[in-house]
Amino acid sequence: MTLELHGLAKSYGSFVAVEGADLMVGRGTFLTLLGPSGSGKTTILSMIAGFTEPTSGQIFLDGKDITSEPPEKRQFGMVFQGYALFPHMSVAENVAFPLRVRGMSKAEREEKVRGALDLVQLSRFADRLPKQLSGGQQQRVALARALVFEPALLLLDEPLSALDKKLRAELQEELRALHRRIGRTFINVTHDQEEAMSLSDSVAILNHGRIIQLGAPEALYEQPRTRFVADFLGKSNFLPGTVRELGQGTLGVQVGALRIRQEPGAAKVSLGAPVLLSLRPEKIRVLGDADTADNVLEARVTSWSYLGAGFSIIAETAVGPLRLAMPAWHAPFHPAEGAAIRLGWSAEAATIVEDDDAGA
Amino acid sequence: MEGAYKPGWFARSTGLIVALYLVLPILIVLPVSMTDQRFLSLPHESLSLQYYRNLFASPEWFASIAQSFWIALGATVLAVVSGTLFAIAAWRLDRRLVNLMRALMLLPLIVPSIVYAIGLYRYFRWWDLLDRIAGVIIAHGVTGIPYVVITVSTALAAFDPRLEQAARGMGANLSQLLRWVILPRIMPGILSGAIFAFIHSWDELVIVLFIASRDVFTLPRRIWDGINENVDPTMAAVAVLLVFFTVLLLLADLAVRKKRDG
Repeated sequence: MTLELHGLAKSYGSFVAVEGADLMVGRGTFLTLLGPSGSGKTTILSMIAGFTEPTSGQIFLDGKDITSEPPEKRQFGMVFQGYALFPHMSVAENVAFPLRVRGMSKAEREEKVRGALDLVQLSRFADRLPKQLSGGQQQRVALARALVFEPALLLLDEPLSALDKKLRAELQEELRALHRRIGRTFINVTHDQEEAMSLSDSVAILNHGRIIQLGAPEALYEQPRTRFVADFLGKSNFLPGTVRELGQGTLGVQVGALRIRQEPGAAKVSLGAPVLLSLRPEKIRVLGDADTADNVLEARVTSWSYLGAGFSIIAETAVGPLRLAMPAWHAPFHPAEGAAIRLGWSAEAATIVEDDDAGA
Repeated sequence: MEGAYKPGWFARSTGLIVALYLVLPILIVLPVSMTDQRFLSLPHESLSLQYYRNLFASPEWFASIAQSFWIALGATVLAVVSGTLFAIAAWRLDRRLVNLMRALMLLPLIVPSIVYAIGLYRYFRWWDLLDRIAGVIIAHGVTGIPYVVITVSTALAAFDPRLEQAARGMGANLSQLLRWVILPRIMPGILSGAIFAFIHSWDELVIVLFIASRDVFTLPRRIWDGINENVDPTMAAVAVLLVFFTVLLLLADLAVRKKRDG
């Protein structure tokens, strides 16, 4: 099963919801469409499901154009935001619905329903009504219902957004395990970057109706292509500068009064060109007296907070305020407001990103 | 509601007065139906059930009750089927023309029934429907449509459109969607509408006076004639039965609503 989107676009009057999305989803992939609200992620999912008609572009399933096929012909499983369980049907009847629609015999239906409920550990609740279940259980019923007819593709629309944090983490685990076990293709939509990173093989980051970057979570986090990606996926410091030296393997980037040593990575730069550096807070180290690094900077703590696993510190420096994350268990100093510290980071720590000006 | 203002003596007493005003005219027929006199009056010496015996022994009254029942049943079926279909169509096609149609559908509630009755009289004379049970069923069915349209539209407004998406996504065609998802969800609204349409036909008099004469003699019409021609207290006994029956229907409606909300 391969799903391909070719220049898929949707506009409502003069408002462009999705602007030419190209995407290829291979068999067994867990893909997440990640973006802030209004970025067009739900519209893309809705076009894949067939509920929204694209303004232009095509959708191919295994090479066959399905752009104009109605949703009931596409045979995709879908889990809706808020689950959309049928309130007048019991859990078992809900799960049996797609089978009943296909005219499956009662005996066969019962067997499949039992299997699907076992898969999500809800067999005990088969005779309950949806409203008698907790949010997490309803969510699992929706999953069982979407998977019971063995669709090649499962679409998930913010499946975990209605749950509290702890339950969400639990269901993330389950969802990932389920994906591994059944090996089908999942396409998930969310605005939660943690969820996207922990679940997916591949993440597409969207903003203003466009796919900004597509890749494995780690690649996106380590090599964000633009300021928006770096800012949306985790936290980052941004340092605008100018290329002053083109050395062997490293660049000299002038940021204010500071000359920063920086590896160019994949970016193509030329002497005198303006660049934007993205520097993750956890890649800045607080240096001891004897420590040294490629880039060293004097700083003064302006505010800090304790987060259990670590400290989050904001320090004023010659290049402006920097945010840094320091693990608590081997902190070289205990933060205090006004404390003078030395910060350092290596030449490969920061990434040169395109300034799409959507971050701030 | 917690935290709300408690009603004061003024609100309490006006509330009580309004309730009495609503209920007293209905309650007065109860003692009148048990009068020991020969004419429509309150009992003088003792209570008597003679007029109830009279009622159950009278073939005319019984024929009228049966006729009213079958007419109301037919009218209810007509109103429920057309009202529900219309409400679903209007819900699906939310356009300007549909809003105009919706206003038209409520017309029987707004136009005085005597105006409606005069109009019906003209048409029914052409179509030879005067003094026919079918004619009364059609008239009552059409004027009962607004009740169904209102209750079913209300039920549809509460219908979660994602349920339809979910059903379609799982492969359901239009007829499966209607039978298995939409109709079960709006059934309480349909039942409510049916009960109101039934009551509407059951006690409708004005239209019947115009389009029926000898062969169709519904219960409200027999009561009306009884008052005009003689002051037989049997009418009060009939009225008590009518009230009793209507209250039963309203209780059924309450039960339906409670089931839907609970």
